[in-house]
Amino acid sequence: MGSRHTRREAMALGVGVAGAIAGCLGSRSGGTATGGSTPEGPRDSSAAPPAADRSPLVTYGAGRLRDETVSGGVPKDGIPSVDDPSLADADEATFLRDDDLVFGVVRGDDVRAYPRKILVHHEIVNDRLDGVAVSVTYCPLTGTTLGFERGSTTFGVSGNLVNSNLVMYDRATDSRWPQVLSTAVEGPLAGRPLREFDLVWTRWSRWRTRHPETTVLSERTGYARNYGVDPYGSYAPRRGYYARDSTMFDPLATDDRLGPKAVVVGVRTATDAVAVTVDRLRERGVVTVTGTGDRFAFVHDAALDATYTYRVPPDVTVESTTDDAVRVDGTRHAPDAVPLERLHGIESMWFAWAGFYPETTLYA
Amino acid sequence: MRDRLPHPIRTVRAALQRRDGRTAFLLGAAGYSLLYLVSVGQLALGGRGWSVWVVDAPVTRALEQTRPFSFEPVARVVADSVVFLVSPLDLAVALVLATLVGCNLAVAVAVWRSPTVCGVGESAGFLAGVPALLTGATCCGPAVLFAFGVGATGSLVTVFGYATPVTALLLVGGLLFVARSLDANAIRSDG
Repeated sequence: MGSRHTRREAMALGVGVAGAIAGCLGSRSGGTATGGSTPEGPRDSSAAPPAADRSPLVTYGAGRLRDETVSGGVPKDGIPSVDDPSLADADEATFLRDDDLVFGVVRGDDVRAYPRKILVHHEIVNDRLDGVAVSVTYCPLTGTTLGFERGSTTFGVSGNLVNSNLVMYDRATDSRWPQVLSTAVEGPLAGRPLREFDLVWTRWSRWRTRHPETTVLSERTGYARNYGVDPYGSYAPRRGYYARDSTMFDPLATDDRLGPKAVVVGVRTATDAVAVTVDRLRERGVVTVTGTGDRFAFVHDAALDATYTYRVPPDVTVESTTDDAVRVDGTRHAPDAVPLERLHGIESMWFAWAGFYPETTLYA
Repeated sequence: MRDRLPHPIRTVRAALQRRDGRTAFLLGAAGYSLLYLVSVGQLALGGRGWSVWVVDAPVTRALEQTRPFSFEPVARVVADSVVFLVSPLDLAVALVLATLVGCNLAVAVAVWRSPTVCGVGESAGFLAGVPALLTGATCCGPAVLFAFGVGATGSLVTVFGYATPVTALLLVGGLLFVARSLDANAIRSDG
């Protein structure tokens, strides 16, 4: 609660005040005064994040992506990741309202919810799930949430953006990883794909009802923040940045098949990118889309108002039922337990998805 | 002693010796401080109850930069619905700018209310107000550009990163301009 202040601290604070007035203080991790940062080179490659077996589709060359990377106006770690997360049980989470958005994950024995209102201030939580070191990431400007295995290092916010999307850096090698691409585009690990895992967008009351044993990231992040305020506006109901058609930064490509801030769920493999609008998916329950090579099923979980995505073999039929389940070749299954290859579905604002994957197939 | 002071300081002191000058200074400085803290997101609605919480290692944390010329808060004070994030260095920046805004306004009011002076009152007020608004861009340059429908490019974001020192320089420049334009003795002391 309180803290003791020594004379040395007071002197340091005085020096800090003078430094601030002179405008001479740097960022905590060597970022530039005006935002963003460039990689400082390899430090400890042995602690690098583990590589995925397969790379997801990356439409652009690394050079183009580096050229399109811009400062977001904050220095490296100016948006601080949560590196020592504190958890609360569902009953203790009085700081959450029933309709607050959370990103939920079930991994082994761990069931956890990450409140969006905390992630919007930190963008990255370096956590452990089922004994595995992971990073849960959220980019407010593109509305995307992804989980990654991080190995023995941690991820931080570089202060840079590409296609308005968070560019992470790993603290072992300082390589740069655009969140949606899940692949390093700069630094010693350039070209390496990260191991991803799914998170679902849902409301706190829905998640808690489905998983009463859940733990939740608490507001005790170690940082003084006003978690009651979203610096970009309001996500639900939509106001500010989330409601306007314009973006802060130019996208890599534009596609007027949908409004820029329409929300889609996308999935990408090594060769395909397909997306479905969330509104249409809610109506249909199940949507199957054929990309350039594979067929995919987007399954809506009505209880959570969330989406799961699967790869569908050519001769298999996937249909919705009237009781919020899924019928695969005539057999009924829960939406999150369909016996097909589960893929990583990414909820995203349309402009961001279309910018990264301009050839995407869209079901709207 | 009085004559040895630099001319702008004598002008400000003359303005602050008047009641209307002091009032303008206090209103300008207090109002600007509040506006600054709101613009950088450190004073806002959204809290519940009453509480004070201080981070671990507050001195180290206070020196960590979050944006150009903005630094980490070290405490969160919740008073009913108001949340105040205490960043010592941001408070210092706010106080410096607020003092400059207050001085500009005090001089502007004193000049305006002194019938022996003419021709500089309007410019003094302008020089106090416009630069003060600029510093609102400090909090988040891209967001300000977005609000005006302008796409953020790297160079624009860089320019916005320097809004705070540019504001301070403009405010100091405003004082110098007004002080050079008039005789401090022309500001009557009975306002």
